[in-house]
Amino acid sequence: MRSGAWKYGALGVASLLGGGAAWAAPTPGGIDFQTPVTETAKRVHAFHTEVLIIITAIVIFVTLLLVWVMIRYNKKANPNPKQFSHNTTIEIIWTVAPVLILVWIAKGSFPMLYDQDVMFGVKSLDNLSAQERAAEVELRKEENVVDIKVYGNMWYWDYTYNQNTDREFIVESRMLKAGDTTRPLKPERGDIAQLSVDNPMVAPAGRYVRLKISAKDVIHSWAMPQFALKVDAVPGRLNQLWFKVDQPGVYYGQCSELCGKDHSNMPIELRILEWDQYNQWLAAAQADPTNGGRAYLDSLPRPRPSPTQVAAAQ
Amino acid sequence: MAGDVKHDYHLVKPSPWPLLASLAMLVMVLGTAGSMKGLWFIEQGNWWGPVPGFIALVFVLIGWWGDVLKESRAGDHTEVVQISLRYGMVLFIASEVMFFVAWFWEFFEMAIYHTLRANPNHSDLANPAYAPLLTWNEWPVGQVNGETVKTFDPFHLPLINTLILLLSGTTVTWAHHALQVNDRKAAITGLTLTVVLGMAFTALQVVEYMEAGFSFDGSLYGSAFFMATGFHGAHVVIGTLMLMVCLGRLLAGGMKPEKHLGFEFAAWYWHFVDVVWLFLFAFVYVTPHLVWGAGAPGLGH
Amino acid sequence: MANEAKHAAGHGHDHAHDHAHDHHDPKWYSPARWLFSTNHKDIGTLYLIFAMGAGIVGFVFSGFMRAELAEPGLQLFNGTAFGGFFGTEHNYNVITTMHGLIMIFFMVMPALIGGFGNWFVPLMIGAPDMAMPRMNNISFWLLPVSFFLLILSMFVPGPPGDMGFGGGWVLYPPLSGTTGHPGLAMDLVIFSLHVAGISSILGAINFIVTILNMRAPGMTIHKMPLFAWSVLVTAFLLVLALPVLAGALTMLLTDRNFGSKFFEVSGGGDPIMFQHLFWFFGHPEVYIMILPGFGIISHVVSTFSRKPVFGYLAMAYAMVAIGFIGFVVWAHHMYTVGMDVNLKAYFVAATMVIAVPTGVKIFSWIATMWGGSIEFKVPMLWAIGFIFLFTVGGVTGVVLANAGVDHSLHDTYYVVAHFHYVLSLGAVFTLFCGWYYWFEKMWGIKYNGFIAGVHFWLMFIGSNLIFFPQHFLGMQGMPRRYVDYAEAFSEWHYWSTMGYWVAAAATVVFFIGLLEAVIRRRKAEGNPWGEGATTLEWTLSSPPPFHQYNDLPRFK
Ligand code: HEA
Ligand code: HEA
Ligand code: CUA
Ligand SMILES: [Cu+2]
Repeated sequence: MRSGAWKYGALGVASLLGGGAAWAAPTPGGIDFQTPVTETAKRVHAFHTEVLIIITAIVIFVTLLLVWVMIRYNKKANPNPKQFSHNTTIEIIWTVAPVLILVWIAKGSFPMLYDQDVMFGVKSLDNLSAQERAAEVELRKEENVVDIKVYGNMWYWDYTYNQNTDREFIVESRMLKAGDTTRPLKPERGDIAQLSVDNPMVAPAGRYVRLKISAKDVIHSWAMPQFALKVDAVPGRLNQLWFKVDQPGVYYGQCSELCGKDHSNMPIELRILEWDQYNQWLAAAQADPTNGGRAYLDSLPRPRPSPTQVAAAQ
Repeated sequence: MAGDVKHDYHLVKPSPWPLLASLAMLVMVLGTAGSMKGLWFIEQGNWWGPVPGFIALVFVLIGWWGDVLKESRAGDHTEVVQISLRYGMVLFIASEVMFFVAWFWEFFEMAIYHTLRANPNHSDLANPAYAPLLTWNEWPVGQVNGETVKTFDPFHLPLINTLILLLSGTTVTWAHHALQVNDRKAAITGLTLTVVLGMAFTALQVVEYMEAGFSFDGSLYGSAFFMATGFHGAHVVIGTLMLMVCLGRLLAGGMKPEKHLGFEFAAWYWHFVDVVWLFLFAFVYVTPHLVWGAGAPGLGH
Repeated sequence: MANEAKHAAGHGHDHAHDHAHDHHDPKWYSPARWLFSTNHKDIGTLYLIFAMGAGIVGFVFSGFMRAELAEPGLQLFNGTAFGGFFGTEHNYNVITTMHGLIMIFFMVMPALIGGFGNWFVPLMIGAPDMAMPRMNNISFWLLPVSFFLLILSMFVPGPPGDMGFGGGWVLYPPLSGTTGHPGLAMDLVIFSLHVAGISSILGAINFIVTILNMRAPGMTIHKMPLFAWSVLVTAFLLVLALPVLAGALTMLLTDRNFGSKFFEVSGGGDPIMFQHLFWFFGHPEVYIMILPGFGIISHVVSTFSRKPVFGYLAMAYAMVAIGFIGFVVWAHHMYTVGMDVNLKAYFVAATMVIAVPTGVKIFSWIATMWGGSIEFKVPMLWAIGFIFLFTVGGVTGVVLANAGVDHSLHDTYYVVAHFHYVLSLGAVFTLFCGWYYWFEKMWGIKYNGFIAGVHFWLMFIGSNLIFFPQHFLGMQGMPRRYVDYAEAFSEWHYWSTMGYWVAAAATVVFFIGLLEAVIRRRKAEGNPWGEGATTLEWTLSSPPPFHQYNDLPRFK
């Protein structure tokens, strides 16, 4: 079980089989962030790597100092201790140097934060070509932004589409379990235990998607590691998230605020579809919200290859 | 070992009171828990749950403070020990101040950000479950039973109460000065006046509560209002009790011009209660009234 | 003594008592000595014994969690294992919650502040006792009361159909309100923390008064040992932070029982308000847990390098700075609640600033060793281990401080790894450091250095193995407070659990070492550490006399 890392690696390679769509989930034995898929997430990833290098250097520096004093100034090497206890220069250095390091970190941190939090990011349109800019401006128009309402419940998520229109419908999303009658967890189908749900959340690729997030009972938290997003679903509050992902696929997240007994059993499965597929799904799901357009989704190529496909690929 | 003690600190003898006080506290808490939700033989809804523990606690504290008095009379409270006690009281009051910070914080958050939270763009709050939230952009938040909150007119009873408390602050200082110059008669008069004023404050506060145009469980406004003013009221009562004990000791011939820590502490406490009230009056009564007063029908008297 | 105790127990009057007649020491087995104590050393001992007991409970609870998480699926908390002894998934949350609360409020705080603080603040500043000995005793006795209430809460109704409170040590409503836990359990948790809070506030007042008013002649505040400084700062944090928690808990209590609407959405309340109040206490609380440890480390490093502390004043005021800034960074625990982005930016900046005074401490410790003549006695091992491990835990805190990254890492095991590095490998390491440093002084017997060394190494390896892999889990997105997880996370969870067994072995060795010392009863010296140990407690016998400093020491 624990030695299965390489097997999953092969799965990842083989995922190209799934009609070019991406799938990703936590990697066994992984030690890094899950592969970032949005620009924001890539930026967070890069920033984190930079900070990681800095903090590693600091830890190594402190360790080397410790090792050095242990070697050079132990009882044998230095039987007669010196008695100094002040050195203004060095004290100024070790106060100012950390300040400079922190300023450096902050210099990357703040723009990244605003990029994440402010709708559409803070990237200026100015350095785009005229054509790109026009496309971007078009995408940012209010009518082209896709709004989805997300509610946390004990213990499932529900997603409202076409909110406040006469086409409004709600999809409820519950974790798949092995023993269930309606739709049991089937690893051979590509389901992942603790991550796959019956009716996934669906959103279009290549569009700005805005989530409005709240909860109906206690606090939950909607998290999507590959987008570097997480925001709490708080009763009585309406929080907002946005993302734009270009690659269709399936992405997994998990409820990230303790919400009681089944806190670990309310994952998030997000299916990203091409724009026209998304619209077909919308129609299908609106017609049958209880099944969340499941039949239509199942008719699409699986983004995540089944083990049989993987075996064939090897 | 022992040897001669050559310092002025007070090495207190072993004492049963701390342990007994803790046990009394345990009994009181378990009783309260029982009254609230039912525990063992204590049925839910009983009024008497907290009583046995509370009575025990009162007895323990009487015993404890009785010991303190005796030690004081026996000369254990030397100069340096008195300084300790003073520091202790100041810190105790500081912690009380932080306790009130919690209520004020809650009140300010509600008063300042209520419109922000009821941002009209949040049309999703149209969800029936959240209907009450739509009233958030009104001031103050409406009650859950649909009634609008009627706030107090600060320039009525609250103003009178402010004057009463301020006056009591002067009478207690008068009593203190009198005691310092050993004018015991004036001290007793001043202190009696203070106690009377304190009781008057409490009485008027009760009257005001009875006329309130909102309730503790009605909405956030009522909760925040009653919690802040209620805890203040409780402190007034405690302060009045402290002053009454001092008055009793004064009448019984206790308290010396050069050393009367009990009196000083009661007076400090009283001033603290006074200052908290000024904040309450300024921010919980007057400011909202001036800012939103027109919109919120004040309760006339 | 028996006579004296009877007086006190009887009616508490004992008029013309005179210090000079304070004759013989009480016998160690006299119940009154322990139940009615007004002696700072005895009360310190009580605190340490209590912390040890609570530490075992917290330690066993963490074993339940690690056993459950050893592999995916439900091992213990599935309603049937061991005859259903462990209950369901809800009980996992209960155990996690209790583990957090116990370790913080009943292990680290009582040991470092109540235990070592009581023992050594008076000794170090040359005071015969604490300023208010009786109040000192109630600070202690309220703790067992509080602990009893907490444990009791596990056996009364919590959420519908389940026992105990499983909402995390942070007690967020509405989960901790009537929506999530309508039962009595949460009320008992609230009362428990109220009582623990009163205990800590009274204790803190006592420390401040003692330190401000009872220093030996000649010991100005700028000559006071750093451990006393650390307790002074800690005590101020307690006095200022705990009442706010008490206020928040009271609002929660009335919301639950008397219909108030503070955190109740239907009445205009806001659950996030609780989080602000909680973390306004909660963040200072984490420094409350580490500052006394900082103090201990300074003494140990200086003693075993045979060199005075480097940059004494900077060390003292770094702690003041940490305490001060600690009050204005609380919302870094709340980056994901939907705060305004400018507010987040402020908290990012404020939080990172704390790395500066903390760095001053780290580098000054190293500078203390620099040029010294270091002896690797057991306490020094813990101290060096601490400096290294705390740096690791501290720098991951700086990562978390960046809101943009914290959006990914919040409520994942990365946070769990961070805070165990500063707590389980930070505060606990300072705890054992102080334990082995002052063991002879307190108990009058010597421990076996070899066993103690084994304890250190097992603990060092074990706790690193537990918590280092948790960084990886967190990076991959493994959420906290999960009883079950996707298979992909199993690898590092497995190693983490393995580490737990090593730490468990370490804990067993710790108690073996204690037993060995008790059985062998090797006579302690007044100052076993030689010329490096310069603070006043080493001028006394081990253990010190029942009442020390009848003739106050003069400090140059
Ligand atoms: C002893 C306890 C302790 C200590 C000392 C700290 C210290 C710090 N903590 Fe930690 N923290 C906790 C206990 C502690 N923490 C706990 C219990 C939680 C979780 C609570 C919960 O949710 O249950 C938590 C969570 C927590 C979070 C929230 C994470 C989340 O929930 O998403 C954050 C975010 O900012 C944070 C930051 C920091 C920082 C910046 C420090 C700094 O003080 C660290 C400073 C130290 C160093 C940086 C190392 C030494 C310095 C140098 C060698 C100088 C050079 C360094 C630089 C220039 C970087 N902590
Ligand atoms: C001081 C605090 C402290 C300490 C020491 C520990 C120690 C340990 N903790 Fe704990 N932990 C917390 C504070 C602490 N923890 C908190 C606050 C939480 C969050 C709770 C929440 O989510 O609400 C948490 C959560 C937490 C989790 C996450 C659970 C989850 O999110 O689902 C896990 C999982 O592995 C864990 C494991 C462990 C382990 C294996 C140890 C091991 O290191 C244990 C090994 C034993 C010891 C280190 C010490 C034993 C000490 C003594 C016997 C006393 C000696 C006394 C004297 C000498 C006087 N802890
Ligand atoms: Cu929903 Cu955790
Ligand atoms: Cu913090």
